[in-house]
Formats: sequence, structure tokens, C-alpha cells
Amino acid sequence: MKPTHISRRQFAALAGTVAAASLPMRSATPPTAQAVVDKLQAALGGEWPATGVEGFKAGDPNSPVKGIATTAMATMEVLKQAVKANANLVITYEPTFFGRADGPPKPAPAPPAGAAPGRGGRGGGGFGGISPDDPVYKGKKEFIEKNGLVVYRLFDHWKSRKEGEMVTGLADALGWSKGRVKPDDVLYEIPSASYEDLVAQIKKKLNLNGGLRAVGDRKSTIRKVMLCPGTMAPDLIYRRYAEADLMIAGEVREWENTFFAADIVAAGEKHGLITLGRVASEDPGMRACAAWLKTVVKDVPAQFIAAGDLYWRAV
Amino acid sequence: MKVREVIDLIKQNAGIVWPDRSFRDTLKTGDPEAEVKGIATTMMATFDMLKRANQAGLNMIITHEDTWWNDRDETKDLLTNPLYLKKADFINKNGLNIWRNHDSTHAMKVDITVTGTLRAIGVKGGENASMRPGILPIPEMTLGEFASQAKRLSGIRHIRVVGDPKQKVSKVLDGPGYATPRFTLDTDVVVGGESQEADGGFDNVEYVADANSLGIHKGLVMLGHVVSEQPGHDDYAKWLQTFIKGVPIQYVAAEEPFWV
Repeated sequence: MKPTHISRRQFAALAGTVAAASLPMRSATPPTAQAVVDKLQAALGGEWPATGVEGFKAGDPNSPVKGIATTAMATMEVLKQAVKANANLVITYEPTFFGRADGPPKPAPAPPAGAAPGRGGRGGGGFGGISPDDPVYKGKKEFIEKNGLVVYRLFDHWKSRKEGEMVTGLADALGWSKGRVKPDDVLYEIPSASYEDLVAQIKKKLNLNGGLRAVGDRKSTIRKVMLCPGTMAPDLIYRRYAEADLMIAGEVREWENTFFAADIVAAGEKHGLITLGRVASEDPGMRACAAWLKTVVKDVPAQFIAAGDLYWRAV
Repeated sequence: MKVREVIDLIKQNAGIVWPDRSFRDTLKTGDPEAEVKGIATTMMATFDMLKRANQAGLNMIITHEDTWWNDRDETKDLLTNPLYLKKADFINKNGLNIWRNHDSTHAMKVDITVTGTLRAIGVKGGENASMRPGILPIPEMTLGEFASQAKRLSGIRHIRVVGDPKQKVSKVLDGPGYATPRFTLDTDVVVGGESQEADGGFDNVEYVADANSLGIHKGLVMLGHVVSEQPGHDDYAKWLQTFIKGVPIQYVAAEEPFWV
């Protein structure tokens, strides 16, 4: 290699240019969590009713945001990693506090005068919620407050986004992005593989532990798949199973879809069904969410933290 | 004996106020006046199970779960579905009469879906349990040992577990199928069949994972819906034999569909 002489002065100038270009523009005062969420909501559009499942779940929305972490589910392990990564705004796809109510029961709204007695005593749209004295709830809430975290749930608006990142994110994580058969659809053509080998590939690519369950003929050849992260709509498999060699879902209900797939096997047809685990199937879509956030919220760094596969298998 | 007569005898012997308005406990296929050649009891009338029952000459199937992949066994949207057509054709050609025993079984004083599974996974003390057996003590062992014991004794191949395999456990709370109990800190382990993993009424998976992160050592053992209520259908067959005479009655298990 031919040495190139660069003067000290030239070097300093060059290095300065590189450093300035690689640093995102930062405003003097970081935005609050509320300001970040306002920006995110404006970019996603639509209505954001206070009665929906989305919203702040813990922490102070007026806190200045040092960094953003997205995840499929804000578990304690994710929160610990967020603290280490200096990301104090956690954007989670699933609840933080163990159910749709996402916290203690909300006081029931006062019934209109003369109304028939309701079921009463159950907030969160029929989902009971957790006792405020529950040690796991208290411990998690204290951890969030002590570490200055703010947790916001983003669900419906991300799930229903026209660009469909929950699906494309999963395709991307599996290396199948180029195989989408038509826009806005779940059907992908993938490099041909045996079902058995494909399961091994998927486990490795998604870093799965014990949650994945597979139904179907393990020796069959897979070329077409449908990607359905989260809970798969039950009628999808009834309507469209013949189009694909394999349906890949987050979760299904056994008596609806698992045994439909089992009956396909008994009928001598070769179409399989995999459930990855709901949360594990949603992580890639929330990785895509972090990438999108970088284009919308430019003054704070955003990163993805995996909730991962929480199951192991009995041996 | 006719299909109708078998159902009547079950109603008379169940010892409950019969759930007459249940959409579940009805005849799904066949004819109430058909002559019963033999009875198969099962957790689910899967296509594979129906083939085995038919081969054994059993033309009345008593199933705990649905036949047509939805709780109401509604078929109006399935009438052109190729899989529906194959399964329906097999049922009709072989004259199979399928009756569902879901709600009545869970209402009985002793719920065989619970007692059968507790026995199958080696938990004692639940021999006369109802659908909600309460917390049962077990000899102290690790969560890993408990899960392995459940797998070995029951023959269930794919059991999913959350928690620290090395933690000690000595109290177990079981629930059948989709009635996986909401976690309570009075117990060490919850054993269930199936539940929505997140965003449900209570998310056990996250709760147990977070409890462990906070140093509260708990475990969740998910057996799978069908296998978690299945072993008791052997007991159901034996119970039927006490008051239905002259027809062969046997337990024909639904398959565990997952490969490992």
C-alpha cells in the first residue's frame, strides 16, 4: 500500500467532518415522552381514543427522553436492558401489566340514572386487571419509576399500518423479503426447503427457545408460506390453506386452527401450520418500528430490544 | 340401543341439572334414531380419531371438543371447504353419529377432564376434583423435574414451560383446556392447557417471567389444550359402562398433533 501523506491540519478537518456527519442533530433540550408520542401519533394518523389499549402505562410522560426502545413486550428483562442502553422511553406492542387492562382495575364509570345494573366491579372492558398490591405488579412499577422509565403501548395503529411492518418485519427477519407474492398480502414464495429443515432455520433466525410448535408432514417440501405474526385470524386457514405449503402464525386457538391443520394431515394433504409464539412472532415487527421511528423522531436515538421466546420445553 | 337413548341415559346419570340450553352439548352429525354399534369417547373428534373409531366398529362418538373447528360447530361458511367436504363425506359414508359432552362434563361434581389429567401428570389428591381443583401439594422437586415427570407419565410430547427449571416447587394449581387458571402467588406452579399468550384477561406467561426476574420464583406448565383434558375420557368410557349395557364402549384418544 502506498502511504499517503496527510497533514495534521487536513486530518483534523476530515475527522471533524466525519464526526459531525455521523451524529444526529440534537436539540439543546431533549423532547418529553409526550412530545415524542405526539409526533409518533401524528405520523401514524387516525384517531387515538383514550379508551383504547394504546397509551402511557407507567412513568411520567413529561420526562425528557434520552433514548427510545421498541419491543414486542415490555418484560422486566426488556426494561432492565433499556436502562442499560440509556433508553428511557419504552414502546411496547403488548401489555406491560399482565393483561389487556394493563394495570389495576379502573373505577367503573358511574351508570346513567335509571340504568339497569351492569356487571360492575370490572374495569378494562371486562378484563379485570391486577391488584395494586400484587408484588409482581408493585415490583415492576417500582423498577420503572426508580429508573425513570416511561412505558407507552403502541398496538392497533402499528398493527393496522398500511405498510404492514408486522408482516414485512417478520419476512425480513427470516430473509424472505423479496418473496412477497403481491403487495399487502401475507403470501410469500421462499427458497424451497424441507419442512424439517425450515423449522430449524426459523428457530435459528428468530433465536427461538421452546415456544415453536409444528403440525404437518415434516418431510414435505415448503415453497409458499403465509406469515401471520400475532394471533392469526381463525378463518384465514379455512379460506386460504390450499394456496400455501405452510402457515406461520404467532398463536392460534387449538380447537379452531391447530386441529384444522391436524385434519389436513389426516386427509392426506400436505399443508402445515407453525405457531412461533405470539410475542416471539411480534418482535421482528417491533424491530421495524424502531427503524421507522428513526425517520420520524430524529432528535433522540431509537433501538429495538427483543422480548424473545420465554418458553422452554420439558425434556 | 339408539343414539337418542344413549344421550338420555347420560342425562339421567350425570347427577346435574342438565344444560338444556347449551349450544355445545348437542348431536353434531348423524341421526338420533340410528342404532348404536359401539361408543367411542374422546377429547376431540379429529379426522384421524374418527378413522380409528370407525375401524374399531364404533359408530357413536362422544367428543368433548368441536368437530368443525369452531366452538359452535357452525358449518355454513365451510360448505365448499375441501377439508370439510372430505371429513363430512367420511362421517356420512360411515354413518358416524357425533355428540358433544362439553358443558355437562364440566358441570359434574367430579370433572374427569381435571381428575384424569392430575392423575396423568402424577399429582395426587385431585381424585374427586371439580373443574376448579384448588392448589394441591406435591413432594418438593424442581420445576424442571416436575415438567419432566409430567411429560414422562402422561406421554405428552410437547410441553411448554416458563420459569427457572432449578427452582423448587411443592404446590400445583391445575385447570383444564382453555380454563388455564389465572396465576396466584399462593401456588408455585400453574398447569394449564392453552391460553392467549398476551393481551388477554390475564397474561400468565409475562407474569411468571417477570415474577422470576423480581426474585419471586414461580413456574407455568402449558400442556396443550387437547392433551390437558384428554386422559379423563378413559374414565368417561368406564363411567358409561356402568349404565349402558350391550354395546362396546371404549376410549379413543385424539392425536397430539405437534411434532418435536
